[in-house]
Amino acid sequence: MTKPMANGRPSPLESCLSRRRFLQGMVAAGALTVVPGGLLRPTPAAAGIVYEGGYDVFRNACPRNCYDTCSIKTFVKDGVIQFIEGAPESTFTRGGTCVKGYAYTRRPYSPDRIKYPMVQDGRGSGNWKRVSWDDAMDRIAKKLLEMEDKDGTLLGLAMTKYSGNFGITNYGVEGMMTSLGYTTRFTGTPCWPAGIDAQNYDLGSMWCNDPEDLADSRYIILWGANPAWNSVHSVKYLYEARDRGAKIVCIDPVLTQTAVKADEYWQVKASTDGALALGMARHILDKGLVDEDWVKDNSVGYDEFADYLRSHVTVEWAADECGIPAEHITRVAEEFAQAKPATIWIGYGMQRHVNGGAGVRAVDALVAMTGNVGKVGGGARYGHLQTWGFNYHALLQKHPEGKKGVPGKVEVKGDFHFTGDESQVSYSDRILNINKTAQELLDAQNPPVRMLWVSCKNPFSQDFDRNKMERAFNKLETVVVVDQFFNQTAAMADIVLPVTTLFEEWTVNASYWHYWLSVNEQAIKPMYETKSNIEIAAALSKKMNELSPGSCTFPTEIDTKEWMAMEFNKGIHDMFGISSWEDLKDGPRKAKLASSASWHDLKFSTPSGKYEFKSELAASHGHKALPEYLPPRAPTAKLRLLTPHTKFAIHSQFNNLDWMHEYNPEPFVYLNPATAGERGIKDGDTVRVFNDLGEEKLRCKLTDNVPADTILMYEAWFRNLSYNCQNLVDDTSADMGAYKTGQPGVAIHDQFADVARA
Amino acid sequence: MMQNHPILTLDENAGALPESSRQACALRDFFLARDAGEMAAAAARIEAAGGGPAPAELRSPEGMRRAEYAFNRLFVGPMALQAPPFASVYLDPEPLVMGGTTLTVREVYHALGLASTLEGVLPDDHIGLELDCAATMRAGLERVRDPLLSELHAWFVAEHMAAWVPSFVRRVEASPKETSGPADPVVDYCVGQLVHWLVAEVAAINEERGVPQSPETDDGDEAPSPVKPVVQHFAPRDTAAESGDHTL
Repeated sequence: MTKPMANGRPSPLESCLSRRRFLQGMVAAGALTVVPGGLLRPTPAAAGIVYEGGYDVFRNACPRNCYDTCSIKTFVKDGVIQFIEGAPESTFTRGGTCVKGYAYTRRPYSPDRIKYPMVQDGRGSGNWKRVSWDDAMDRIAKKLLEMEDKDGTLLGLAMTKYSGNFGITNYGVEGMMTSLGYTTRFTGTPCWPAGIDAQNYDLGSMWCNDPEDLADSRYIILWGANPAWNSVHSVKYLYEARDRGAKIVCIDPVLTQTAVKADEYWQVKASTDGALALGMARHILDKGLVDEDWVKDNSVGYDEFADYLRSHVTVEWAADECGIPAEHITRVAEEFAQAKPATIWIGYGMQRHVNGGAGVRAVDALVAMTGNVGKVGGGARYGHLQTWGFNYHALLQKHPEGKKGVPGKVEVKGDFHFTGDESQVSYSDRILNINKTAQELLDAQNPPVRMLWVSCKNPFSQDFDRNKMERAFNKLETVVVVDQFFNQTAAMADIVLPVTTLFEEWTVNASYWHYWLSVNEQAIKPMYETKSNIEIAAALSKKMNELSPGSCTFPTEIDTKEWMAMEFNKGIHDMFGISSWEDLKDGPRKAKLASSASWHDLKFSTPSGKYEFKSELAASHGHKALPEYLPPRAPTAKLRLLTPHTKFAIHSQFNNLDWMHEYNPEPFVYLNPATAGERGIKDGDTVRVFNDLGEEKLRCKLTDNVPADTILMYEAWFRNLSYNCQNLVDDTSADMGAYKTGQPGVAIHDQFADVARA
Repeated sequence: MMQNHPILTLDENAGALPESSRQACALRDFFLARDAGEMAAAAARIEAAGGGPAPAELRSPEGMRRAEYAFNRLFVGPMALQAPPFASVYLDPEPLVMGGTTLTVREVYHALGLASTLEGVLPDDHIGLELDCAATMRAGLERVRDPLLSELHAWFVAEHMAAWVPSFVRRVEASPKETSGPADPVVDYCVGQLVHWLVAEVAAINEERGVPQSPETDDGDEAPSPVKPVVQHFAPRDTAAESGDHTL
């Protein structure tokens, strides 16, 4: 706001403000009294409020589901965030965030934020009443007690939570459930489970090299990964490698911004990655380029794998299957096998298929047979959880005495479930598949899911088959949604609870890609009536214990800073070379690694202790023992439908912010001109994308970045638009995921639809 | 508000407040209302403080239920707000809260020796807080004709509030309605009364300062600087035109 200048004189405002002490004197003298009932009060006589000087700087970390987990410096003045920077201390973040990160100031200060607990009169009606926290907790607690009275258990309470906020104290949501009794949990992950299992069968765990050693690689294949959009900080290492002479090959069904930066791009047919990898492996075998010493010393089952390649795989077959010409396959296979070290970055997109786990195993085999596992600058890079050894204090709560659940012991699994379960238990939680949330809600009986608690998640945007999800929600008696912004899930809530942003709570953040650790300090007061997830749990516990003493074990008063500190232990201190969390106030710290290479000691966590080309464990789980090719899913409509991440959002987060909205105000469907031409569709036409599940209407853009058999529309939630790609995506399972994450993955990219002019 | 703020009546006799302050307080309470009951009580006081007759819906539970839904869609949430009640959204280069405008308004409160009990939690330039400040300044001027206070009051109401309230009102008027036809009658009434109050207060300020109606006539060095005629900010409104007691 400009302070107006009148006729060149200082404005009345400036003039008055410069003489403010006289005005303050008026209050002191009683000449100026506040009017009754207001919120303005005389400032304490002596103190006043003085904001002087420079910025208060706070340490934060991006808690979103992203490779980069940026370490952030937040600059606050007058209690207001002015701007943020990437923390310069992190060699990974190196002083910058991504576009989404720079937009963080828009989150706490968007006028669109959910500000107060509110109750909807009629789900989906848009008729909302504001209630106090006490009232909101009273409604929830009474419903829970009524449910327990009726059912004898709290299994009617289900929680769905995933990656909306990876700050470690946010596992207090799970802790809140435990503190209430035995409940229903949605487990599994739509993100990366098939690949996790694949790497567990091959290597014994998912453990990737430090991404900073990509720079040491001589040959890099980016396989279904798009770091130019999804891990911008990794790109500098790719360029550094290339400056040192490395070649970069990108394999993706879509010509991405990463693909155009590569030296070579292959537009592979979706879901045929396994065939391509096996074709390359066969050629390496035929050319005698296998690292025989490495294979002999460090693996089991290689001979059977070689037999399988000779009997079932040819380069021509692979070329035919995946659409990449045989001469390209043989050339790159030879280059890859001869470059040392060579690495493959396995993107999560390539395993979101019915044969995705098998595909990752084939790619792993390619890296292993060339002796690139355990090498600096090498590796089959997928992800890691090496730096997540926190106490999980918020997560680990006790069940109240005498609570009942599912009889017997059911093991809870999950990609981020790090803690052992109580050894001797009489009862367990009921486990449902997060990747079939709608179907599971419809099917759950004895008791049905009566109340769904949603936090760190937007099921209507991220879960599959939106029409089925609506039917499933109709079955629920109460829906509680904890969120920062009003999205399509909040629209289907009975109660919304406003949650803090990263700037308004204390927590700690690690990455599943790089090896840095960041503390997240509270930088500003929580706006409006927002509370952190653990404060919400405490408020619910307080109410539960008021109404029914002993019904909830969660502490009723908590301090988010203390709870952050309680996540640290000696293992974390030693790994990061710190004596307490306070050392992180000086900046993020990197794990002290014996080597940047995962598996550098070549001691694998498999049953044999070796790299397993042949995994009996996989066979015992119903998979092939070898990384054999599995055929893709049979099409259910004329065109393949891809719904990958968009550039300016992480799932349904960020896209609603004003800066993003300015560049990306509406969704488009991207069609190859040939596909469009056959259907009389012109660039800019509004089209109908449809299949057996539903349809979506939106404008189209024509581009040969997408193949002719493919419809591409990005997943995202757009502010005030009904667009939802889940109208068209079903919940077909991926081949793997159940072993380590509790549930099979989901074939997000094995979807089919057709398109017509609207 | 989450924090309980017991009403602290510093002024012993609210009835002694000037009408303009009483109106501003009632309007303040409306825009800060948390539920239909508080909205209805505030709307009734707006009416009692010299507003025109309130619509019948004010006395009907069903009418107030609808008014509460409309009020929340416009000003509270949880959906994206149709008419954010924060000055910075309209006056800052980018439509956020806690911007430069918010801090300038905070500075005004501090200059008066006041601070919002929700500072840092509710943006200082919420319409309810600004009405609170305007009411306090007007009440103060009734006691002491302090030129500095008068100057600040003139700026705050006739320059600052007049610069954004019209845009805010237009957002209310342009908001998608639950049904076709006018906005919710109770909300519409109270927003209309906000316009009446502001227009009257600006007119009073101009009169007190001896400012001619046309600002072009004043360019003297020592004469009080004119405030912009607030009326030009407002688009024609049917209710206002019908009432005929001020020009728009």
